[in-house]
Amino acid sequence: MSNQLQNVIKQQQEQNSNIATEAKDENIVQLVGFIVGNEEFAVPILSIQEIIKPIEWTKVPFTDDFVLGVFNLRGNVLPLIDLRKKFGASEAEFDDDVRFIVIKVGDELAGFVIDRLTEALRIEENSILPPPDTSMERDAMIEGIARKDDRIITILKVNALLKLNNE
Amino acid sequence: MDEMQEIMEDFLVEAFEMIEQLDQDLVELESNPDDLELLNKIFRVAHTIKGSGSFLNLDVLTRLTHHMEDILNKARKGELKITPDIMDVILESVDMMKALLENIRDNGTDVTDDIDIEPVVAKLDAISQGKDLSEAAPSEPKEQKEETVEVAEEDELTEEDYANMSPEEIEAEIERLIQKRAEEDRARREAKKKQQQSGASDNSTENKETQEKKEDEKKPSTPAPAPKAETKSAPKKEEKKAVPAKKVSTVEQTIRVDVNRLDNLMNLIGELVLSKNRLIKIYNDVEERYEGEHFLDELNQVVSSISIVTTDLQIAVMKTRMLQIGKVFNKFPRVIRDLSRELGKKVNLIIKGEETELDKSIIEEIGDPLMHMIRNSVDHGIEPPEERVKLGKPEVGTVELKAYNEGNQIVIEIADDGKGMDPEVLKQKALEKGIISEKEADMMSDKEAFMLIFKAGFSTAAKVTNVSGRGVGMDVVKTNVEKLNGIIEVDSEPGKGSVFKIKIPLTLAIIQALLVSAQEELFAVPLANVIETVRITLEDISTVEGKSVLKLRDEVLPLVNMSDIFKIEKILGVNQYLYVVVLGVGASKVGLIVDGLIGQEEIVIKSLGEYLKGIKGIAGATIRGDGKVTLIVDVAALMKLAKETHSKTVVTATIETKKKKEKPEDYVILIVDDSNTDRKIMKKSIEPLGFTIKEATNGEEALNILKNDSNIDAALVDIEMPKMDGYTLAQEIRKYNRFKNLPLIAVTSRTTKSDRVRGVEVGMNEYITKPYTPEYLANVLKRNLKLS
Repeated sequence: MSNQLQNVIKQQQEQNSNIATEAKDENIVQLVGFIVGNEEFAVPILSIQEIIKPIEWTKVPFTDDFVLGVFNLRGNVLPLIDLRKKFGASEAEFDDDVRFIVIKVGDELAGFVIDRLTEALRIEENSILPPPDTSMERDAMIEGIARKDDRIITILKVNALLKLNNE
Repeated sequence: MDEMQEIMEDFLVEAFEMIEQLDQDLVELESNPDDLELLNKIFRVAHTIKGSGSFLNLDVLTRLTHHMEDILNKARKGELKITPDIMDVILESVDMMKALLENIRDNGTDVTDDIDIEPVVAKLDAISQGKDLSEAAPSEPKEQKEETVEVAEEDELTEEDYANMSPEEIEAEIERLIQKRAEEDRARREAKKKQQQSGASDNSTENKETQEKKEDEKKPSTPAPAPKAETKSAPKKEEKKAVPAKKVSTVEQTIRVDVNRLDNLMNLIGELVLSKNRLIKIYNDVEERYEGEHFLDELNQVVSSISIVTTDLQIAVMKTRMLQIGKVFNKFPRVIRDLSRELGKKVNLIIKGEETELDKSIIEEIGDPLMHMIRNSVDHGIEPPEERVKLGKPEVGTVELKAYNEGNQIVIEIADDGKGMDPEVLKQKALEKGIISEKEADMMSDKEAFMLIFKAGFSTAAKVTNVSGRGVGMDVVKTNVEKLNGIIEVDSEPGKGSVFKIKIPLTLAIIQALLVSAQEELFAVPLANVIETVRITLEDISTVEGKSVLKLRDEVLPLVNMSDIFKIEKILGVNQYLYVVVLGVGASKVGLIVDGLIGQEEIVIKSLGEYLKGIKGIAGATIRGDGKVTLIVDVAALMKLAKETHSKTVVTATIETKKKKEKPEDYVILIVDDSNTDRKIMKKSIEPLGFTIKEATNGEEALNILKNDSNIDAALVDIEMPKMDGYTLAQEIRKYNRFKNLPLIAVTSRTTKSDRVRGVEVGMNEYITKPYTPEYLANVLKRNLKLS
């Protein structure tokens, strides 16, 4: 009887300590950083389905110029959006570092063209600053600004990446 | 409450099906009032709905059906003759039943302020009591008296009903009643369970129990005493035995399947079709490369057997989604009957081919357009009886509704022997309403004139009735048919009648498509909308009022370039020949100029997703055998775009004339070689002549340069290179329409004959072996650029 009781207490303690570590983790945001133009951006790691090398895409008429078209990801047709054009960075050729980041937005998947990946980032949530208060169009897409060493990283709102284009 | 919900849903499905049948049977009954079997059938339907309704506490519905059943019962016993007036009332009550059922489906109850059954009930009562209809008026006390009679009658009727049920139906009924009981009657549940257990081995006991329970439901105030069941047990047993012999042969072997499951299955088949296409493509590539090899035969066998099985599988799954068009057609006898009585016309409806099958989703969409066209035929087509007699036609007009298969399409034909349409009158009318211009009217063929009736705001009815002629309708019909990728054809002869033909594809998920190219882009055009393809020369294009048109046999087609519609940058020069795809949607036709016809392929329609949905002229996308995405054209929307584009652009005017090049200075040459030294040597040989030089160190780089810079006039290509060799590069380059004529000169140290042959195969224009003299290289280059 006393053994059982001890077991129960032990389990409870274990659970408590688990909760404690989880709570600690909650303050850390995991992001994937990448470069578009001259700036570094990041999106939450969990919103990324996969990152692939550039593959062929098909142009779609009557779309904004940052919509390159659609591409085939294992039988699914996904839109492909060039973040360089969307953010107004100067056009550049596709070099070996260019990747398509496939991001899940709600139930929809979409591919985004980026110049190159940097690294997976772990950033404490309370070190993220709110977006600067300017009236630039792309501010609606910004979740916050993070600092890592001496880099400034713009964290993007995943939902806004696709939504904005519909308007 | 879930169980109740399930029972309710089953009841609704069943009831809707029965009522549909009821409509048809009643109209048939009117022409054969003495058909006892038919009467019995109708009576049973009414009775079943009443019975089930009462279990589910649908009092209003039960009350209505009960009164209707009364009349039918009298007619069955020969106490009452069904006249058209009585039929009107019966049909009215059937309509009300429908309305009630719809209300139940939507709101879960048959109690609603919108539907008042009292007037109909009063009329039904009057009929059943043999009174004149006009005397009918709702009177409450009488109703109550009726109520008691009903209960007395009930037992007898219930017995008859069970006798007519198939064993399956009885089983289902038992199942339902047991569930119902368990749900509703918790207090008696325990006792009930014991009874069931004791009687589980004997079906008849169960039957008896349900029988008794049914009575319980009808008289909820009286609790069911258990002993009563004992006394009734014996006669019921006999009845049960008699049942199986009667009906067992008519049982249909079907199961109900959730449509979502079928859709899912269809999606999987879609994937399979894509893989099949891909396999065929790979086989073709392999066949080219390893011609004559033994394993090719085997591979061929496997590929073709997979392709056959896939096709069969696709058809089989498609068939599971198929419904007989009779499901739609069955509504129409009733429609025609009502209409002809309302309009004082005599019309006979002939239905043929109701067993023709169509995809469920199409069946659901086609009902309304058909209904409208049938109304139209009766209202505008068929003349009043006196007029018909005067014209020497039979007094009763005929509307023929016919469905049949034609290739991958289904054709629905609506023909009437009425007054027909006069193309001149139609044109005049359209002119008056400002729908067409004088010039257009002159150029119009008779067939085109008939199509005018589908224009918005056009109506030939002299007076507006509540049936048709309000100027909306036929254009909606056209839009609906177009939504299904269908087309409408009209033929008519004044005084003899009109024929409307609706042609729609059998299914919507997997379609046959024609692949065409506009500049470098590929598009899939649903084959159902392609009437023909023609090759024309520039001289065949004529200009009318500043717009390009093509005279094709006796028709004049507006001509539009696909690249103009989709605003694709024009990079190709103009060939002497142009390909025109003649598209037809509903009634109108357009000639679409494309740069190439690739071929016919079976494609699976995929959505472009939330984000890109609603793009003008694009219906979706498909993944081709090579894994690339090809957009599917929405022909109806494309035609609309074409019309806008047509008024703005003259096809021939948009064709750019390329700047003439005469001197070496006008040319840009691309040198592709991984060796720096070799590139320098080549550069030295030709640069002094004045050529502009661009360099690439491998095939991949070269291809990228070419793709991004359309000014390159020729390329000198090494064969041995990292990443992409010269052969592959040439092959890739030739895949693009715009590089079809780009001079490609191989410069290599590979000297064997087979290397040269390979070079020609992949599309090299010249083959120069190292070492070479600078003069030789320059000469070859000049020759290929046609520079003297």
